[in-house]
Amino acid sequence: MRSPVRVLTAVPICDGHDSAINTINLEFIRHGIEVVYLGFHRYVSDIVRAAIQEDVAAVGISSYNGGHIEFFAEVVRVLRRKGASDIAVFGGGGGTITQADVKLMKRRGVDQIFFAGTSLEQMADYVRDHYGKRRAKRSGNGDLALARKLTEIEEAFTSGKKPQTRTPARNSHRAQVIGFTGPGGAGKTTLIDELVLRFLHDQPSGRLAILSHDPSVVGEGALLGDRATMINSQDDRIFMRSMATRGQAGGLSPATESCLELLAHSGFDYVFIETVGTGQEAMPFRSKLVDQTVLVMNPDYGARLQLQKIVMLDVAEIVVVNKTDLDRAKAALLEIEQRLTQNKRKQQIVATVAKRHRDRGVDELYELITKNGGTRASGASRTAQRAVPTAAKVKSR
Amino acid sequence: MSKLGAVVEAVEKHGKFVLDQVKRARTDEAFGRELTERWAKLKSEIPITKAPTGLQLPRFALPEIDEPGEIARYLFGEGLPGEFPYLAAAYREMYLEPLQTNGAIETGSYGNRKSPDTVAAVAGRGPRSRQQQNGANGKSAPAPKVRPPEEPTRLFSGLMLAEDTNKRFHFLSAHQRSKRLSTAFDGPTLYGIDSDADGVFGKIGEGGVAIDTVEDMVRLYDGFDLGSPDFSASMTISGPAPIMMAMYIAAAKRRFGDNVVPKLRGTVQADIFKEVQAQNETIFPVEASLRFLCDMIEWTSENMPRWYPVSISGYHIGEAGSTPVQQAAYTLSNGFAYVEMLMARGADVNVFGPRLSFFLDCGLDVEYIALSRVSRKIWAIGMRDVFGAGPKAQLFKLHTQTSGRSLIAAEFKNNLTRTAAELMLAYMNATNSCHSNSADEPFTTPSEEWIRLASHSQAILLEESGIFKHTMNMLSGSPGMKAVERAVENAIVEEFREIERLGGVMGAVENRYQRSQIQTAAHRYEQQIYDGTRPIVALNRYRNGSDDMPEVELVRTPRSKQQQQIDRLKKFKAKNAGKAEQALDKLAAIVDSDENCFPALLEAAEVCSLGQISERLQEVVGRFRPMV
Repeated sequence: MRSPVRVLTAVPICDGHDSAINTINLEFIRHGIEVVYLGFHRYVSDIVRAAIQEDVAAVGISSYNGGHIEFFAEVVRVLRRKGASDIAVFGGGGGTITQADVKLMKRRGVDQIFFAGTSLEQMADYVRDHYGKRRAKRSGNGDLALARKLTEIEEAFTSGKKPQTRTPARNSHRAQVIGFTGPGGAGKTTLIDELVLRFLHDQPSGRLAILSHDPSVVGEGALLGDRATMINSQDDRIFMRSMATRGQAGGLSPATESCLELLAHSGFDYVFIETVGTGQEAMPFRSKLVDQTVLVMNPDYGARLQLQKIVMLDVAEIVVVNKTDLDRAKAALLEIEQRLTQNKRKQQIVATVAKRHRDRGVDELYELITKNGGTRASGASRTAQRAVPTAAKVKSR
Repeated sequence: MSKLGAVVEAVEKHGKFVLDQVKRARTDEAFGRELTERWAKLKSEIPITKAPTGLQLPRFALPEIDEPGEIARYLFGEGLPGEFPYLAAAYREMYLEPLQTNGAIETGSYGNRKSPDTVAAVAGRGPRSRQQQNGANGKSAPAPKVRPPEEPTRLFSGLMLAEDTNKRFHFLSAHQRSKRLSTAFDGPTLYGIDSDADGVFGKIGEGGVAIDTVEDMVRLYDGFDLGSPDFSASMTISGPAPIMMAMYIAAAKRRFGDNVVPKLRGTVQADIFKEVQAQNETIFPVEASLRFLCDMIEWTSENMPRWYPVSISGYHIGEAGSTPVQQAAYTLSNGFAYVEMLMARGADVNVFGPRLSFFLDCGLDVEYIALSRVSRKIWAIGMRDVFGAGPKAQLFKLHTQTSGRSLIAAEFKNNLTRTAAELMLAYMNATNSCHSNSADEPFTTPSEEWIRLASHSQAILLEESGIFKHTMNMLSGSPGMKAVERAVENAIVEEFREIERLGGVMGAVENRYQRSQIQTAAHRYEQQIYDGTRPIVALNRYRNGSDDMPEVELVRTPRSKQQQQIDRLKKFKAKNAGKAEQALDKLAAIVDSDENCFPALLEAAEVCSLGQISERLQEVVGRFRPMV
């Protein structure tokens, strides 16, 4: 089975017109294309960084606010400068992009512009026909080569072959791997992005990788939209990769484990891995896949009885109750605390409001993750080494 | 239950109240007689007006009914123009030509008595309501002079640098009695970014005017008397609206002194909810944005009694692809959410309520026959019955713009017809002001040729044609219009229920309910165009066979002008460097406290650029996290 075509779509800086691109994204997905959507009001540098890290075949830009000649040309120029001239640039802007503009834009390296009136079908066909070719290997050690290696792993799994990538040397530096899971809508993405903001301030030269997942069905497209809301993670010190699950249940992709191994040995201090929104029975991380597991919940899990059914509450090292500004938060924190006490393990519970700027709960979670992980020796003695209270302690403000 | 649930109940209760009145009029003889007498008196007091052909007509038309139940249904359910629940119009008279006053009021079959309002019987909204106030306050005051009404035409403009837009404003308003300017800003300004920031070159002055500093704001309205009762400025900006408002005030003070502030008239859009739901021009987190907005509303309501500090907008919701019902439902529910929020802060609904204004889209779908009429009614009921607002705070004061989305690039001259039909619908809904789009807008910021035609289309409709200038209620109340009203009202209330189920407007926003509803509707609209179920002339039918785009004059900002803006911004920053830092520190400290930060913003606007202020504010409150 062939891998789906991957493209990145975005709307330029100072432009919030996302109606057209939203519709086009949906149509692309329907036609089996995986779309990494970066969102609106995006700088050239953010678009190029994302295109390289996601290793897409092409970048689609939807522009309605003028300045398209400069903007498209700049995307092409920066891609080339970064050695990614094999990533094509296409786009549209209704009637705002004239035929004369298109001539000029193509001369500057833009591959294709769709005019007003082009059907969605035609656009999707063009993308599949022109950007579906297998691309050459890349050498070197930078993000460019790493991104291509991740693509090779993903494609190998999709086509049913074992990936060719060598296993990294045992003694090479391994990043701390933190797994984030929990039901859809609990705020995992926002929470990770807020942790990234703290990492960027706290560790002035460190690097961090994020492996994020969105659901998809075998042979179909997917909307990989986490980047659009992760405003702090658009930074050269953050390497982010969005993966579609390509039919695998349980919140991860068939290629996740191999990709994670590669990322863990690619010089990052941390690798954050985010599952798709999971159900009560899910236990997405196999043993030793991650160093710490963070379960992110919101207070609206329903009746207390439901807590007994959530398997991850037995497994996670840290339980985050997000959105504690909601009315039910106090009761939820108490119920979850009691549930964890039954486990008699040294689990931590943290109350956060991730959407709030400078939230103290997120500060606390960042401390827990970075300070605990720093002294990890081996998986077996992990929990014993923690200097934490014996009973789970609710830390709410 | 949020207040929106209470609005649903109030609308239903009002419906029942009307039915009860109908029944009572039919069963309670005294009540029926009272109504019949009132009706007869009303009819007898209607002045008579004369068309240029000599035809005599009543100045406002009433349904031809004489049965007490039907009279009750009309008076309570629809209301006379300017009377609760304001279905027909917010004011008794709008768009009408002034009556001949030198004893030349004609009489006719509708009676021979003068209307008690004859003196004030002029078109438009402003002058009339002011005159009523004057009359009520000073008993011995001489009869107020009849001032010519303001035209409802309000044209939107913004291109290149401040001086270019200023020139366009003078071009557009040269022949207008009242100067009603509406300002479009370029992308960097809308996002609170300075022109000299990395990565925005190419966007400067595109799609609107580039404004970075108070000096630009001075240039923008140069030559206009900002304190004059005939001048009003509207600024279509939301994310950094409080900053732009502060710059406008600072510019006005520079030119006319401190005393001009209470005289300033105009509107700043400032609608955060619709940005988050549809237009995506938010720069601070929602809660912080709402706090800045409320700070501004409270300050301007106190200090600028003639300013509208928010324009609660459905236009962008409609343009992003919503259905008309979604547009009205989200706009109204957003409005009610603002009211709830301001009242929770202790603000007086009768102080800020009259300073809320609204902005709707008008496209070609059938709902637009009555969308604004129904919106006006629901707003009035909600404000009166849920929030306890007095009559002035019940008015849904509306600006309408014809639909940009309905304009098509292919054979674009057809856009003149589309806009003309939409204009007709907008005025049938008794909008208080209106902008008509230029036919060349699928391609470019309007060029002079097409914007002139757009402006003329309103003059043709309101001045040449007799449709709106002789008689109020000329087109109200047809069976079809009533059917649309009922269907639209029910659908809006149903949307309210859904939003209420999600925890009110804020809850629904956090669940990205409105966004996903709008996106779904937009997708369906596109599919309907492609499968032909939504006919678009020259696009999916009657094509001329050529795919060539027409040659239109493009308005684009030359690189030299963009550079000029950067250069003078840098000069401004260098000149104010020390003072700016002080002002920003003070602002940051006040934002960190819970005080109203608008006064500090006013000080900062004197010496800081837009980008300097928004960046500092983002350090304190964070950046907006987009929802997709």
